Amino acid sequence: MTALIELDNLTKDYGSFRALDRLSLEIGDGITGLLGPNGAGKSTLIKVLLGLVSSTSGTGRVLGCDINQESQEIRARVGYMPEDDCYMHGHSGIESVQVAAQLSRFPATEGLRRGHEILDFCGMGQERYRNVETYSTGMRQKLRFAMSIVHDPDLLILDEPTSGLDPEERESMLNRIRVLSRQLNKAVIICTHILHDVQIVCDDVVILAGGRVTLCHRLDELRRSLDPSLTVKILGSTDRFLKHLRQKQIRAEKLSDQIVRAWGSEEAVAPVLWSAAVKSDVAIRSVLPSRTSLEKIFLKAVRKADDADP
Amino acid sequence: MPIHSLGYRKWSGPLESRSSRWKVIAGVGIRRAWQNMWLRRIMFFAWVPGVVMGFLIFGYERAAEHGNSTTFMFQNLLKIFIQGPSQDAVLSGLANPEFSGSVHEQRHLFWSSLLLTLFQRSQVMMLIPVVGMIAPPLISQDMRSRAFLLYFSRPISRMHYILGKAATVALYLLLISFLPGFLLYCTGVLLSPDISIVLYTWDLPLRVLVVSAVMIIPTTALALMISSLTTESRFASFAWFSVWIFGLFANWVIASFSGPVTDRSPLEMLSLYHVIRDVQGWLLDVNQEGVDDPGSRLVLLLMLTVVSLAVLFRRVSAPMRV
Repeated sequence: MTALIELDNLTKDYGSFRALDRLSLEIGDGITGLLGPNGAGKSTLIKVLLGLVSSTSGTGRVLGCDINQESQEIRARVGYMPEDDCYMHGHSGIESVQVAAQLSRFPATEGLRRGHEILDFCGMGQERYRNVETYSTGMRQKLRFAMSIVHDPDLLILDEPTSGLDPEERESMLNRIRVLSRQLNKAVIICTHILHDVQIVCDDVVILAGGRVTLCHRLDELRRSLDPSLTVKILGSTDRFLKHLRQKQIRAEKLSDQIVRAWGSEEAVAPVLWSAAVKSDVAIRSVLPSRTSLEKIFLKAVRKADDADP
Repeated sequence: MPIHSLGYRKWSGPLESRSSRWKVIAGVGIRRAWQNMWLRRIMFFAWVPGVVMGFLIFGYERAAEHGNSTTFMFQNLLKIFIQGPSQDAVLSGLANPEFSGSVHEQRHLFWSSLLLTLFQRSQVMMLIPVVGMIAPPLISQDMRSRAFLLYFSRPISRMHYILGKAATVALYLLLISFLPGFLLYCTGVLLSPDISIVLYTWDLPLRVLVVSAVMIIPTTALALMISSLTTESRFASFAWFSVWIFGLFANWVIASFSGPVTDRSPLEMLSLYHVIRDVQGWLLDVNQEGVDDPGSRLVLLLMLTVVSLAVLFRRVSAPMRV
């Protein structure tokens, strides 16, 4: 994994309040979910990454550029979609995207052409000619997304990209993010409270709490390793199967009729499952590693940070 | 939806220069302001005094060409347009039988006086509604709609942003100050007997430029600062007009109680209009009653500009600090 963002002991103080506390982090390509409770320091981290505010101490690089020295170079290569309901007053949708392109040094005509192309990609039709003040929340959300990608950035930082969208639009937005990452090799950081979105699209997850990184891992591995277990579908008597598992000191529970969860690593539990199936005279239809919900992972990471606080 | 969508495509192409970014912000502001019908009307009327003065130059040059043949009506017109100590000098120059002998000095004085009238009586007054229509929403609306996040997530600095906003106001002010003044000078040159007039009046375009700068820079800084202090553009408009109305009212009260104009009080500097007017007279080298110390007025304008810019920079970066 190539590190696109490298932070080393980064601290940001607002007066006596410490927003980021000796934060060290590496984020690579793919889609990364940036999670954290309110006040965890996510917005401050984004501002520091974009060079909008300078760090109090520590160093950091984004796409190889120093966050304190080369902030304009960073912003030229990063697309940022703010969470706030912000818009350029008195402009139509296409004008807003064109201005965004021009601010990234696109020639005016090329900015307009590219603006139309990106608005097509974002699924915005004739409403692009309407004044943005008349837009619904969802339309403004799409417009901000279009503005963030119009200059073809290498890294996208999307703050709550799906909030305020209806289910269909939400799905479309996540698909666009997937296309940008998987087909066009853009690195994407999604800062969101909607854990379901992270679960669907993200490869990695970073959880911030109290200005510190409490968790930074591959999402796949994380969901397996938190408390490993196997989900077993059987044909036959569930109670008899459970009884035999418990005799072998395996913690197990009945999830529903014919479905059992057994805790332990795959290597340790799998052989026991087969022997228990033989003894209890049941057939095993499938054995799958159980997945821990992201919500559990999130809560555990946040509680860990709370416990660590003096 | 498009008939044929290409989807997202990577982009590579030549980029504009780094210095073009503030021009984009300025262009946006200029286009937005021009959509205001009242601004367009005021811009049109702002040129009328310049046109009228062009006719005066025509009359003057006729008088210069034919010796002392000025009509009574022309002299009365001059009395309306040129006031103060320079009025007598201009009129006596026209009445002098040796007029043609000192015509270059007379012409310089006449043109300077006319330019001063243009700036003092009409253009500074036009500045108030023009800036009042353009500047108040420039920053306050960006703060209200949180557009600063969209601007500053781009590779632009606070300097680019402020420069772009200031250029919006400055362009319109240049159109109603420097341009009419310069064209008035050009009209004079074109109507004068020969092009050698330029040798005697070459300093006037430069003076017009400096006079315009004295008018534009402090007022632009002040207007943008006011705009940055609130998210409601109507409050900014109110504050902008209040500054001028309060100043003019204070000046009127002081003038009513302080006796003859030669005893001008430093309190008169409460009025921005009078401060700018006095400095313009000094810069155009035209005698003005009661203005002995333009330095203090210049310092005041400089301080106003510096303080306004300092507040402006702080306000523009404020949303990023939270």
